[in-house]
Amino acid sequence: MEEYPLELAITPPREYEVYFVPVPKELLEDSYKSDDFVVFVGPQHGGSGHMRLIVRVKGDFIVEVIPDPGYVHRSMEKLAETKLYIQNIPLFERPSIIDFGNYNLGYVRAIENALDIEVPERAKYIRTLLAELGRIGTHLYDAGILAVFIGHTTGFMWPFAVREFITEIFARITGTRVTGSFIIPGGVRRDVDEKTLSAIKRMTYAMEHRLKKFERIFIKNPNTIARLKGVGVLTKEEAAKFGVVGPFVRACGIEYDVRAIEPYEAYDEIDWEVVVGTEGDSYTRFLVRVEEINQSLNMIRQLVDNMPEGEVISNDIFSFDKKDIRGSFFEAYADLVLPEGEYTTLTEAARGTLLYTIVSDGESTMPYRVRIITPGWMYLRGFMEACKGHRLADLQAIYGSFGYFPPEADR
Amino acid sequence: MFEELMSIFMGDSVNIPLIQPIVDTLMGIPLINLIVAFILWRPIFHILVIPGLLGITIILLWIVYWERKLTARVQWRVGPKEVARRAGGVIQTLADGIRYFFQEVIAHRDAHKLYFIQFPLISFLPVLLPLLFIPAGSVWGIRTIYALPIALALISLIPVFILGMGWASNNKFAYIGTVREAFIYFAYEIPFIISVIAMTVIYETADFFEIVAKQSIIPGVFINPIAFIVFLITLLIATSRLPFDIPEADQEIAFGPYVEYSGILFGLVMTLPYEKLYLLSLISVILFFGGWNGPAIPILGDLAPALWLFIKAFIFMSIVSLTRSIYGRYRIDQTLKMGWSKIMALSIIGLILSAGVAIW
Repeated sequence: MEEYPLELAITPPREYEVYFVPVPKELLEDSYKSDDFVVFVGPQHGGSGHMRLIVRVKGDFIVEVIPDPGYVHRSMEKLAETKLYIQNIPLFERPSIIDFGNYNLGYVRAIENALDIEVPERAKYIRTLLAELGRIGTHLYDAGILAVFIGHTTGFMWPFAVREFITEIFARITGTRVTGSFIIPGGVRRDVDEKTLSAIKRMTYAMEHRLKKFERIFIKNPNTIARLKGVGVLTKEEAAKFGVVGPFVRACGIEYDVRAIEPYEAYDEIDWEVVVGTEGDSYTRFLVRVEEINQSLNMIRQLVDNMPEGEVISNDIFSFDKKDIRGSFFEAYADLVLPEGEYTTLTEAARGTLLYTIVSDGESTMPYRVRIITPGWMYLRGFMEACKGHRLADLQAIYGSFGYFPPEADR
Repeated sequence: MFEELMSIFMGDSVNIPLIQPIVDTLMGIPLINLIVAFILWRPIFHILVIPGLLGITIILLWIVYWERKLTARVQWRVGPKEVARRAGGVIQTLADGIRYFFQEVIAHRDAHKLYFIQFPLISFLPVLLPLLFIPAGSVWGIRTIYALPIALALISLIPVFILGMGWASNNKFAYIGTVREAFIYFAYEIPFIISVIAMTVIYETADFFEIVAKQSIIPGVFINPIAFIVFLITLLIATSRLPFDIPEADQEIAFGPYVEYSGILFGLVMTLPYEKLYLLSLISVILFFGGWNGPAIPILGDLAPALWLFIKAFIFMSIVSLTRSIYGRYRIDQTLKMGWSKIMALSIIGLILSAGVAIW
C-alpha cells in the first residue's frame, strides 16, 4: 500500500514538552507526521510497572519500544560506599527482596573470596536451600504477574497463594517473610532445626500438588497458549547478541547457567539439570521457569535429605556459638577490612546472572566501590527487541514472559 | 381528567393477588390512588418494576457482587465481606455506588466536554428502549410481531455510544479502545444475528409470545444447540466479558474508552456492559430456555411469569460470570479471526440445522 504523508502544520501535543521524555523531539515529530502513533505506557499504567515504555505503533504493530527506566533507582552502588561491609548485606538484597538468598550469596561470596574464608558444609547447604526457595518464590511471583498481564486473574491469585508456602518457610528459617539478610561472611546467621527441615520437605509435596492445579487452569489453558505461543521470539543469535541472561537465554536454546558452569556452594553435590528450551518465544520462557520450579523442588528435597551435621559459622570468624552468631556479631564483623584488590562473583539469581564486584583499597572498613549488575538490566535490551513487530496487546504478554522487575533493574 | 386517567390506568392494570389488600387500601386515598394506578398500569409496571428499572437495579447490585464473590471463591480468597459482614457483604455494590456518587467528576481539559458528560447519561436510551419490546409474560410494554428485530436493533446501538465516549475522551488509550470496540462490533454482530435468525426460522415467528408458547414442551436450546453456542460466545464478546475483554483491557489500554471517566460517570459507564448483558440474557432465556414458562403461582397472578423470566435471566447471568475466573484475554486479531471464520461458520451451520428442523 502506498503511503501519503500528511503535510500539516505540526504542533506536538503538550505532553511532549511538559513531561521529561528521554527521546529526541524529531522522533516524536516524525512519528506524528507519519502514520505512527506514539503511546506512553507508564509510569502510572496498569501494565507498565515502575517504568515508562515509549511505544511507537504502526496500526496495531509495534515499530519500536524505548524504555525509560530509573523510576525506582536508589543509587545502591553509591550508598554502599558509605556503609560497612556487613551493613551492605541488607542493602544489596533490596533489588529483589523476594529473592534475597541469591542476592546475599553473591555479595557474601565476594567478601569470602577476598578473605579466604572456608564455609562449613552445613552452612553451604542452608545457603543453597535459601537460594532455591527464593528462586521458586520469584518464579511464582513472575508467573502471577504474567497471568494478570494477559487478563487471567485466577492465574494471578493462585501462584501468590502458593508462594505463601515459601514465605512461611522463610519466616521459620530467618524470622522474616522477605529480606532475610540471613547469609553472612563465613556461614549463616543461625542453624536450621530438624523440625523446620522436615516442614520444608513436606511443603515441597504440598506445593507440587497445587502446581498441578495451576497447570490445569493456567499453564495448559488454550487461551494462555494462544496468547504466548510465537509471541516475542528471540533467536539464539539475537539472545546472545543482546546479552539476555538467566531462564530467558536458556529458553532460546543456549545452555548457560552459572550454577552448572562455575558451581558454588552445594550445587555440585546434588543432582539437577539445566532446563533449556528451543523456541525462544514467550511461552517457552514461561515453561522454562515452570520446569525450573520443579527442578528446584527436587533440589530442595535432596538438600534436606543430605544436610550434613556440624557448625554453620566458619572457624575463621570469631563467634561464641558456632551455631548462632547472635551476641558476637559486632566483634566478628565491625572491623572487617578486605585486602586491596578487586573481587568479582557470578551468581545465578532467579531471573539470571548476577554480578558483584567489590573494589577495596585495603585500609577502609567500607568498600571503595561496589559494582552490581542485575539480570533485569541485562535482559532489558532483549525485552525491547522482542517486542518489535508484534501487536500492541502483546507488549504486556512479552513483559510478563520476561518477568521484568524494575526495582531489580534500576538498583 | 382524573377520572379519565384512572379509567385508562385501571383498564389495563397488573393483577397481583398478593398485594391486592394493600392496593385496595391505597386506592381509597385521593391522589395516591392515581400514583398507584399509574405504577400498576401494565406498560409502566413493565418499564418501572419488572423487568424494567427495578429489575435492572437488582440485577446490577447482585451481579457485580456475585461476580466478585464467585471469582474470589475460585481464587482461594474471601471476596467482598466488610460491608454488611453478617450478610456476607451483599451490599458491597451499593456502597461502591455511593462512593462513586460522591466522588468528583473530572472532565479534563482536552475532552469534548458536552459529549463527554452527555454520552454516559444518554447511553441509557438503548438500554431502556429495547426493554419496552421484551415482554415478561403477562407484563409487556409494546406488543408487536416485530419485537425481536426491533429489540436487537436497539441493543446494537450501544457500541455507538461507547464509540462516542471514546471519541469525546480525546485520549490515546481511549482512541485505541474505541477502535478495538469498532472492530469487535463487526466481528460478533453478524454471527449473533444469524444465530437469532436460526431460532426465528425454527419458531417461524419473531413475536416473543409465540416463541415462548412454542417452547412449552422442548426449550429451544435442545432443538438447536449450535445456535445457542454461537449466541453464548457472541454474547461474551458483545458484553466485553473475559476472554473477550478486549476494548477495555485494563492491563493493556487501561479501560479503553472509559479511561478518562471518574466519579458517578464512571459508575454509569461501568454498568453499561452489565445492562447489555441483562438485556441479552433476557433475550437468550426467551429464545433458548422457554422464556417465562414455569410452574404457575396463583398468589402472584400476573407477576409470576415475569418473575420466572427474571429468575432464569438471573441464573443465566450468574453462570456466565464464571468465565472471568477461567480464561485470560484473547488478542484482538485472534478474536476477529475467530469471529469471521469459526463462529461465522458455526452460525451458518446452526442456520442450516434450523432450516432442516423447520422443513421436517
